[in-house]
Amino acid sequence: MRRVAPADGSPSRRAVLLGAGGLAAAGGGFAAGFAVDRAGPASGAARDPAGQPAVPTPGEDLMTEHGLLLRVLLIYRRLMASQASGLPVQASHAHDAALIIHDYIEAFHEALEEAYVFPRLASAGQLKPTVSTLLLQHARGRERTQLILAESAGSGSLKRAGARLVATSMAAFVRMYEPHEAREDTVVFPAFRALLTPAELTDLSQQFAELQTQQFGSDGFAHMVARVADIEQALGIYDLAQFTPPNITPPAA
Amino acid sequence: MSTISDWLTRRLLLTLAGLAAVACATAGCGSGASHGSPGPGAGSGPAVTIRARSLSNVGTVLVNSSGYALYMFQPDAQRQVTCTGLCAATWPPMKISASDRLVAGPGVRASLLGSDPDPSGGRVVTYNGWPLYTYTGDVAAGQDTGQGIDLNGGNWYLIRPSGQPLIAGPAGS
Repeated sequence: MRRVAPADGSPSRRAVLLGAGGLAAAGGGFAAGFAVDRAGPASGAARDPAGQPAVPTPGEDLMTEHGLLLRVLLIYRRLMASQASGLPVQASHAHDAALIIHDYIEAFHEALEEAYVFPRLASAGQLKPTVSTLLLQHARGRERTQLILAESAGSGSLKRAGARLVATSMAAFVRMYEPHEAREDTVVFPAFRALLTPAELTDLSQQFAELQTQQFGSDGFAHMVARVADIEQALGIYDLAQFTPPNITPPAA
Repeated sequence: MSTISDWLTRRLLLTLAGLAAVACATAGCGSGASHGSPGPGAGSGPAVTIRARSLSNVGTVLVNSSGYALYMFQPDAQRQVTCTGLCAATWPPMKISASDRLVAGPGVRASLLGSDPDPSGGRVVTYNGWPLYTYTGDVAAGQDTGQGIDLNGGNWYLIRPSGQPLIAGPAGS
């Protein structure tokens, strides 16, 4: 699997962010505890010192990444339905979708949670059982992804037994990650957000953006979305309108 | 049994210990046992113990003093610590400071213990040249959820007390 090479590396801040200083600032620095920011929704937007709108807040960033994950789960559902119907499952579709999970969700998005969100909550004594479960689910998800990647490494359609294994793992993955990310969006990220001061929020927002640029380039997220869209197109699930239910026709008088 | 909060606290303390060791490493306080000179691990401070423990699925492997499984990262190639930044958030390196005493528990070979510099600061404990890491997915002592995983640019394996990675799986060396 590829290891993303550092970008140009010229800004010294990047080196600091990725080094012990950066992670310790998030994990260690938080240990001292900070005031809760309850200034209202407007305070959630990260702004630079000049007051200009800047990058998304950490919570917004993580939830946007959850949107990407949800789209891959939809792809998994489509492939599971094909397998259940006895239709061919293209190995490349399963493999490409799982690679997005492996490279972006598991190695980056979840690492952000493990580096910044969970330690901060732990130091505040919040959500310990939930965080423990989320961490174990990260591990179980990675196991399932390894299996999907291994079984879909070839070309053409998956053999019957392989398709069944892949579909079973995808089903377990979907079943776990839908409540997983819903809990994070509604409970974990808001709790994390409430522990940050406006200054921390701004700094962490910038750190998240820079880490993403370092790992995937300036348009890294857009590139991931495009990869997902390509698979959706191939599977015929890209057109959003197809998911709109029909109008409810009133019963005839 | 240790809990996730224990683990997170340890991780935080280790990170801070690693930061504290940066100044020492920069100032050349020692090159480490893996290079044949007294350095981190040869101090008279707190003991950092590597133990051997039998885990239900894989047999006897190395664990830290709290019983958490220790892993090696193939890209390290028994030469250097390459898991840094966000990788180290998922796979926290087993840090050691200049004042720590590195101790081999029963069944562990002291001659295979050493340390390597961490590009993020401080030093990381090594065994048979492999830098050692724990895994965030192991939320309790005795788990091995990271065994055989390909993540962050390479494969992760448990290590036998002989110093051999558990590449062949449960039936391996």
